[in-house]
Amino acid sequence: MRQAVEDEGNALVVASDTAGPEAVAGPPGRRAGPRGAADLAIKLAGVLAVLVVLELCSRFGLLPRRWFPPVSEMYAELFRLAAQQPLWVEVGRTLRAWAVGIGLATLLAVPAGVALGSSAVAYRMSRIVIEFCRPIPSVALIPLAVLVYGTGLEMKVFLIAFATFWPLLFQTVYGVQDVDPVARDTARAYGLGAAARFWVITIPSAAPYIATGLRIASSIGLVLAVTSELVGGATGLGRAIVVAQSAGQITLMYALIITTGLLGWALNAVFAAVERKALRWHPAQRQEVAR
Amino acid sequence: MLEVSRLRKVYGADPQAAPAIEEVSFEVADREFLCILGSSGCGKSTLLKCLSGLIPASSGEIRLNGEPVTGPPEDMAFVFQDYSRSLLPWMTVAGNVSFPLRYKGLSKREAQAATDEALDAVSLAGMHKRFPWQLSGGMQQRVAIARALAYRPKILLMDEPFASLDAQTRSGLEDLLLDIWRRFEVTVLFITHDIDEAVYLADRVLVLEAPAKVGLDVTVPLPRPRDQLTTKALPEFAELRGRLFSAIQGAPVAR
Repeated sequence: MRQAVEDEGNALVVASDTAGPEAVAGPPGRRAGPRGAADLAIKLAGVLAVLVVLELCSRFGLLPRRWFPPVSEMYAELFRLAAQQPLWVEVGRTLRAWAVGIGLATLLAVPAGVALGSSAVAYRMSRIVIEFCRPIPSVALIPLAVLVYGTGLEMKVFLIAFATFWPLLFQTVYGVQDVDPVARDTARAYGLGAAARFWVITIPSAAPYIATGLRIASSIGLVLAVTSELVGGATGLGRAIVVAQSAGQITLMYALIITTGLLGWALNAVFAAVERKALRWHPAQRQEVAR
Repeated sequence: MLEVSRLRKVYGADPQAAPAIEEVSFEVADREFLCILGSSGCGKSTLLKCLSGLIPASSGEIRLNGEPVTGPPEDMAFVFQDYSRSLLPWMTVAGNVSFPLRYKGLSKREAQAATDEALDAVSLAGMHKRFPWQLSGGMQQRVAIARALAYRPKILLMDEPFASLDAQTRSGLEDLLLDIWRRFEVTVLFITHDIDEAVYLADRVLVLEAPAKVGLDVTVPLPRPRDQLTTKALPEFAELRGRLFSAIQGAPVAR
């Protein structure tokens, strides 16, 4: 992924260099106008088609109605739930663990990544330990987490922090290692000491990588939050899904599943928007603007 | 005055390894425009990095106004060939020009004034809030030159600054540089592999032979102010260019 981002970046840098001698690229524009509207219409048509097909399959018995209620009923249930407090309490519980877990992982992974990225020796020393820990599927740690932390918030936070630590760590390491030597030489030639170079050069260079790490961590964190509730029995959306299922409230179960999907989508959209705004100087973002 | 005496550079720990710079000695007078000419791989960039204190020399000495150079000196500014990487993409044009100034101890207001003046000198007034990547190559290199100017150096080191620009942009920037050199009263040490560029710009041209030793040291007697058309049409220009050309041709080619 890091590679992809970088390659796109380089391609763009080359392209802009060969542009006319004194041409000035305009300020990045917003995607809008008739093309944007048409694009949106096509996307919405796709969503609508899927919903209609699902609805008809259920209504005409192509799918067993008992297990696959019509989509319209699921959404009706969802809207009914959204008007009431209990759903939001569950969403809050899930999100709280998500936020604390990712926050904790960030606090640990970013400094660790900076340390490993800055020191070749530290990186080589920790390499095997990291390669051993990283592939452990976080869900395999649920029994351990339940044993140590019980079935509350702490257990969820531990699992989320463990799972999201790795992408954040690696993105930070890559980001710190990928500082352009010319940029670093420039800062040195202009008399910036090591500490100044860290803040002026290293951190901004690594920021796009860390932002990507956060976006990845955001979706992994949500998966772990819901999983730990489903399997570990902590309260939250995952647990609500299990309860609905065992009570035979299939429509409610679907409405809750849709809620988790919407949550993941919304979180990703928020992170992508923040990335776009804060890092609009980065080649990957510039290209998106130019598209 | 910059004095380089018996400078030698060998990369790595092995003293028997082939040197990047065999042995170089020369002096640059204050406000002189010196071009160092050499084919690629002859050690030009290594030399400049040693002079700027970015990398340590293996032996020999570099003195700037009598002080030995052990790290990047305050009186020295550097313009890199690769402007798109030397300019920081997350900073605006003004940010790129001014960030070294704050670390040099200038107040915010002083830094701003210096930035305005420098951008003005390279005809980029009003471009403060642009980002480097929104500008053409020539404009980006002008931003890098503005950054060097705002730093108020006594000596300006330039490592093939115009090598990746098209011919038209390049001759425009050569004239801009001559103008700046005169107005800001700086010493310029300019590295290039382009013979015409060296003769057109310099007071004096050093030819480097691989592995970086001074092969030829010639004074350029062409009158100033110079002009792309008339200066380059002078018989002295052709004569000098011929001499330098055969000197470079005769120089052993780098591996």
